[in-house]
Amino acid sequence: MEKMSRVTTALSSSALTGHTMHCHLDAPANAISVCRDAAQVVVAGRSIFKIYAIEEEQFVEKLNLRVGRKPSLNLSCADVVWHQMDENLLATAATNGVVVTWNLGRPSRNKQDQLFTEHKRTVNKVCFHPSEAHVLLSGSQDGFMKCFDLRKKDSVSTFSGQSESVRDVQFSIRDYFTFASTFENGNVQLWDIRRPDRCERMFTAHNGPVFCCDWHPEDRGWLATGGRDKMVKVWDMTTQRAKEVHCVQTIASVARVKWRPECRHHLATCSMMVDHNIYVWDVRRPFVPAAMFEEHRDVTTGIAWRHPHDPSFLLSGSKDSTLCQHLFRDASQPVERANPEGLCYGLFGDLAFAAKESLVAAESGRKPCAGDRRHPIFFKRKLDPAEPFAGLASSALSVFEMEPGSGSMSWFVDTAERYALAGRPLAELCDHNSKVARELGRNQVAQTWTMLRIIYCSPGLVPTANLNHSVGKGSSCGLPLMNSFNLKDMAQGLGSETRLDRSKGDTRSDTVLLDSSATLITNEDNEETEGSDVPADYLLGDVEGEEDELYLLDPDHAHTEEPEYVLPQEAFPLRHEIVDTPPGPENLQDKADSPHVSGSEADVASLAPMDSSFSLVSVSHALYDSRLPPDFFSALVCDMLRFYAEQGDVQMAVSVLIVLGERVRKDIDEQTQEHWYASYIDLLQRFCLWNVSNQVVKLSTSRAISCLNQASTTLHVNCSHCKRPMSSRGWVCDRCHRCASMCAVCHHVVKGLFVWCQGCSHGGHLQHIMKWLEGSSHCPAGCGHLCEYS
Amino acid sequence: MVSVINTVDTSHEDMIHDAQMDYYGTRLATCSSDRSVKIFDVRNGGQILIADLRGHEGPVWQVAWAHPMYGNILASCSYDRKVIIWKEENGTWEKTHEHTGHDSSVNSVCWAPHDYGLILACGSSDGAISLLTYTGEGQWDVKKINNAHTIGCNAVSWAPAVVPGSLIDQPSGQKPNYIKKFASGGCDNLIKLWKEEEDGQWKEEQKLEAHSDWVRDVAWAPSIGLPTSTIASCSQDGRVFVWTCDDASSNTWSPKLLHKFNDVVWHVSWSITANILAVSGGDNKVTLWKESVDGQWVCISDVNKGQGSVSASVTEGQQNEQ
Repeated sequence: MEKMSRVTTALSSSALTGHTMHCHLDAPANAISVCRDAAQVVVAGRSIFKIYAIEEEQFVEKLNLRVGRKPSLNLSCADVVWHQMDENLLATAATNGVVVTWNLGRPSRNKQDQLFTEHKRTVNKVCFHPSEAHVLLSGSQDGFMKCFDLRKKDSVSTFSGQSESVRDVQFSIRDYFTFASTFENGNVQLWDIRRPDRCERMFTAHNGPVFCCDWHPEDRGWLATGGRDKMVKVWDMTTQRAKEVHCVQTIASVARVKWRPECRHHLATCSMMVDHNIYVWDVRRPFVPAAMFEEHRDVTTGIAWRHPHDPSFLLSGSKDSTLCQHLFRDASQPVERANPEGLCYGLFGDLAFAAKESLVAAESGRKPCAGDRRHPIFFKRKLDPAEPFAGLASSALSVFEMEPGSGSMSWFVDTAERYALAGRPLAELCDHNSKVARELGRNQVAQTWTMLRIIYCSPGLVPTANLNHSVGKGSSCGLPLMNSFNLKDMAQGLGSETRLDRSKGDTRSDTVLLDSSATLITNEDNEETEGSDVPADYLLGDVEGEEDELYLLDPDHAHTEEPEYVLPQEAFPLRHEIVDTPPGPENLQDKADSPHVSGSEADVASLAPMDSSFSLVSVSHALYDSRLPPDFFSALVCDMLRFYAEQGDVQMAVSVLIVLGERVRKDIDEQTQEHWYASYIDLLQRFCLWNVSNQVVKLSTSRAISCLNQASTTLHVNCSHCKRPMSSRGWVCDRCHRCASMCAVCHHVVKGLFVWCQGCSHGGHLQHIMKWLEGSSHCPAGCGHLCEYS
Repeated sequence: MVSVINTVDTSHEDMIHDAQMDYYGTRLATCSSDRSVKIFDVRNGGQILIADLRGHEGPVWQVAWAHPMYGNILASCSYDRKVIIWKEENGTWEKTHEHTGHDSSVNSVCWAPHDYGLILACGSSDGAISLLTYTGEGQWDVKKINNAHTIGCNAVSWAPAVVPGSLIDQPSGQKPNYIKKFASGGCDNLIKLWKEEEDGQWKEEQKLEAHSDWVRDVAWAPSIGLPTSTIASCSQDGRVFVWTCDDASSNTWSPKLLHKFNDVVWHVSWSITANILAVSGGDNKVTLWKESVDGQWVCISDVNKGQGSVSASVTEGQQNEQ
């Protein structure tokens, strides 16, 4: 008989049509149930009990079962169920514990049929036997389940769960005698209807109350349960022990669960709090809902598939007092909205790309083993061949590498590490950098360096520039004069190539000498002022020399810097010595004696072993001949720098800026320079090129940048008397109220450079300490400490 | 031009929605429908799982790394309406904050440039964008822009930190006066630019209209030596636009169609020097684009087509026809 009814309903279902629609109810609904003809739905709640006809475009109220002027509590429904075999038979569970049956075939207005007042507390659930017309089951808050024969006045049997409240009872579709019940303590029990004394099986299904369960409609022995722990679990009940076959985690507690007809792996859920949506899940893909209905504005309390063989119509009732019909095709599908791909540009120009595996697998099948040697393809997650469902998804994540030249950043790192930015004559720097660029296959960059060398290092121009410097700012009027003078000099020097080697050697040694002295002095200065032990930084002593030189070129800078450093009086002559004799002017003075010197400069420029074309050299001669000042090119050079920067090669822009220094700086506005510096430093730091980054910071002339190195440097000072850390600013110790900056040698307060041993906190004037240490390695304060100065 | 160096075995049980490399390019964070966020060490082509972060109750859509000056911090957003901020302390990753201020799926998270402090922008399907600012001692201040995009916001991306005027002009010791800006893309087919007013409120500054369907991703180009501001956007309609603003004062943005693809375009991502744009589309293909000297965008590589072939031979004309 059951089979018969199924066949007939299946046939009628083909005619099922309708739209997504809703109607307003007078009161919040607690439960709904559909008539087996799929054309009517009953809605029950605390103060509503109505039958609606489901028409094409709308719901039409057909019958109000709540009759009488003063409805009794028996009509306050917690649940309702429509018999799936008898269109006239309904049962309701009342909040006062009464189970009521209704016969729609009664001629009177009041359709109430029977009243069972056996439960002591709210009845949570009623359920008709799927194939037996007269058997009704109820589950109550009082912890009992009762089975009624509608032909008798009282219950046939009572089942005690021996635990807390019963939340749901459901007859099995597969076994005639079996039903499942769920409890607030997380248990699920399986009962044989003939054996009320004890349950057949019991297991803990959820952590916390199990609010609902539903048997799979296709005789699979699967039971879905939903609980307050936000999970839906699917159990295989055919095995000896209930086995969890699927688990879906929703975002809120699960109030109702209903298998979707004709879709073996789909089920619908709704929540009893927080979340008002109805979800349809594919249990094999437990993380993303397959579909989502978002119509309700308040908690959804009842869901029912309209027809047992039609997967597209879902009905729902809600606390927001609406009844809805949802069409599956109108559902929003989070999976469709979900982004199936992840893409990220890595630092080194590599790409991380995650994509749906199905497509990627097909791709990689075509070109086998595209992966690299180190990480063979078997690292990739295999698709389970047993589950070739389209609904399933997994992703493959690949990291792609750019080949050099296209997008890889390896050139950046190499270049940054190998470029020379200071400490050598301009021509050498340019040559070196050009060579580096060429070796890395960056010919355009290499050519640029060569051009720069030709522009700025052509004969006579270097001395000019230096002269200009030593004269100081504001002497631009004097520049043309110097220029012409030098050019004349040079004209004489040209052609005397025989003496080149010698004079070249001379200038070189000069430079070296100067540089080394600069190194020595600045080195010490710095260590003492900072009291730090980072001599490694000052390996670039020559760099330091140049920096000083650059600072002092600008009178403003010189003045602002002095008070900050508080240099001791005795240190000044030294510094001035360096400043007054930078390599350039020295050369020039020499040149005054011998007319060949400038010529030697010219040779350094043009005869250096380089593979730059001769045409370029001849260009330089032409330029020289036509006596173009380097300023002539500066606009061009600036444009070039901007071009590189816009190409994303801010490295080139900054490097050239540093190497050319004053020669182009004035032509590019401060802000742009700052931006370039900041960008480049940021990049260097991302690549962990701390040393290069530090060098760039030091070489930068922009104050905003160079102050980066002064930021967040903390100096910890101990009092030289009590050896405690000095807390306050200044040099007076809080504890012993004595001045901590006394010189241990001369016992005067040190003003300016103060050097001290980090071990015993004693120290004094730099000169005094240096002198003392020549004779003794013990602390001059007599504390017995073997002082160490780095 | 491009070759696979590494196929990472993520062991994610479902689709991966996002993968992000950290600041130093040594770690890769992935997130998936399976509710988990995973972090891998990918140095030297390796793939060592460092952490498996569980805490979301729905698919995790996006992850974002904070600047390392604040420590190792990762933000993730999920379908469960939550944003979780994870932090590594003594080698273990833990949840440090959970933001639950949205009424629907949170689709995108993006950290502001480090100069502003720790600020996270979150775009949600409820149409709102929230901004979480770390105020110290585990406290986060929340500002919300309601109805930023009707139907929903799909992507947020911050503008690089740019200071009006030189840094030198700033009074010493005071924080430079940054103008904070970000772009968002949404289901209303619009890209919107937001700017923080002086009173700390966020105001819509600009509406960029060109797409005819949902905007899926927006990416503000890093400002490396570039005088202009550039934003890339991609959409459900298959089109990718590159927006440029040459003149900051007039604030006019002009779109340039990079390409019209046949399928949804999900992601756009700039290389760190902002000269190459990677685009991934519904056909599971990644293409790389570069602006040529005459200002046209040219496809320089096609990742899925694999090893050698470079579409450099493809002229712009052909590109436009496609």
